Formats: sequence, C-alpha cells, structure tokens
Amino acid sequence: MSLVPWRYGRDGMYGWIWRHLPGNAWVKALISLALVVAVVYILFQYVFPWAEPLLPFGDVTVDNQ
Amino acid sequence: MAATTEQQELTGTPASPRRRGTGRIAATISVFGELLITAGLVLGLFVVYSLWWTNVIADRKADQQGDRVRDSWAQEGDDPVAFGSKNGIGFLHVPAMTGGAILVEKGTTSEILNDGVAGYYTDPVKATLPTSGKKGNFSLAAHRDGHGAKFHNIDKLEKGDPIVFETKNNWYVYKVYAALPETSKYNVNVLGAVPKESGRQKAGHYITLTTCTPVYTSRYRYIVWGELERVEKVDEYRTPPKELR
Repeated sequence: MSLVPWRYGRDGMYGWIWRHLPGNAWVKALISLALVVAVVYILFQYVFPWAEPLLPFGDVTVDNQ
Repeated sequence: MAATTEQQELTGTPASPRRRGTGRIAATISVFGELLITAGLVLGLFVVYSLWWTNVIADRKADQQGDRVRDSWAQEGDDPVAFGSKNGIGFLHVPAMTGGAILVEKGTTSEILNDGVAGYYTDPVKATLPTSGKKGNFSLAAHRDGHGAKFHNIDKLEKGDPIVFETKNNWYVYKVYAALPETSKYNVNVLGAVPKESGRQKAGHYITLTTCTPVYTSRYRYIVWGELERVEKVDEYRTPPKELR
C-alpha cells in the first residue's frame, strides 16, 4: 500500500481534470490557470449578478410590501 | 510475477482489484471534499464580488452618468433642466459621509441604485423635489454596501452636519437635525411630507436619507433627516457654498 503513489485512485475531480489536460506540467498549469480565470469570469459576469437579488443583502428602501 | 506487480505499483499503473475498491471510496471522499472546498471558494468570491467588484462597476457607471449630467448643464442655456428625465437631476454632497458627489436619479429600484447613485422615492411615497419649491420631503435611498456604497458612512452623520444638493442653478443647503439608527423596513412614515418621528410637526422643506443597517445586511433601515437652511444661486464659477469648502 505504501508503495502506491498517494494520488493514485483518490485524487478527486481536480486530479482527474489535471490528468486529462494535455501537455507537460507547464502546459497543464497554464491551461488550469486559464480555466480558473474563465470560471471566475463566468461567476462575476453571470452567476453572481443573477444570484444577488435572490439574497437579502441589498435592500435599502422602505416600502409597505 | 510478483516482481512485475511490484513494478506496476511503483510506476503507478493499475493496482489489484482489492486496492481499486478502497480507491473508489477514497476517490468519492476526495470529490466530496473538493466540492466543499469549491463551495467555500465560490462563497468567498461572492463576498469579493459584493463588496468590491460591484463598487468598481457602480462607480464607473455613476461617473459616466454624472459626466453626462454636467455636460448637459454646460450645454443648455438658462432653461431649467428637464426633470423626471432618465438622467440625474443633481448631486448630493455630504462631507461628513463621503468626499465625493453622489448623483441623484429618479426611482429607487435596484436597477437604478446599482449604478452607484442615490435615488429619490417615487414609491411608496413620492418625494418632493427641492427644485419644485414646494414644502415636502425629499426622500432618497442608496446602497450601504456594494454597488458604490454611497451611504456607507451614514452613521457618521451628526446633528448640524450639512447635506448639500446641487442642481444646475442652485445649491440647496440642508442641515441634519435627527436620525433613526434602526427602524423596520416597512416604516414608510419616515418618508412622509412631515416626518413625525423626526420630531417635526409642521410642513417644511425636509430631506430624508434611507439605507440599510447594520452594515452588510438588510435587516433594518437607517434614517437621517435634514431641513433646508437656505438656497444659494449657482454663480458662474460654480463656487460651492461654504459648507463644502
């Protein structure tokens, strides 16, 4: 057991992605970075603006409803 | 044969079936753990978005819209600005709260307020604009956090602090006379033409600032009231009244 590399078989989804990226470690790192940037962009541009009105943090007016 | 298996294990090639079984459980736990970490990161990013990024966007929008108002003031002749237009109607200067000018636009929907401006109420109680000259309440709302956070420091306002509303032709100088640090979000009486809770009983020229409180939540509303002290004509250099100097 101790001879099995620690990551083998239990490296989760990020490990899975890493193993399926092409190229050597540098290329993989670069693609990973691009993926992270893309995810953050999608979150900031689309997901958070959509989610924000559903959360009770931004109401500033008084009304009688 | 035994040597080959050991070789395979060392190089990380597929292990025996028994080991693959434990590997599957471990992998499931790994994925679950990673999902939790991911959720934490996303929530952290949401805080960054709410408290920083929305300010960046809103300040940019407010600057653009503010510039447009200033341009239109510079171009037009001596005609009064068309009120109720989509453009801002003027700027709020509250030195005790913020160094910058806050653009004032019509309406208090989040679509308007998210542009980093203060909105005057049209619903549930219509605000009385100071430019109308009528007695009433000029009621405004703006964000406490995020989206420009224009009223973030509303709690710094004290009795006697000036609130100056700048239009094309006039400076309306208000003085703070009362505040309500916490009230229900349904308390529409604070917007009344004569806001009784502020202690005033007679009709007058009032201004009401509303925002949410405590900071980072929307549980209650923070109210500040001011009363018009004087109106100054804008001179050709747009010299601000002494309160802003």
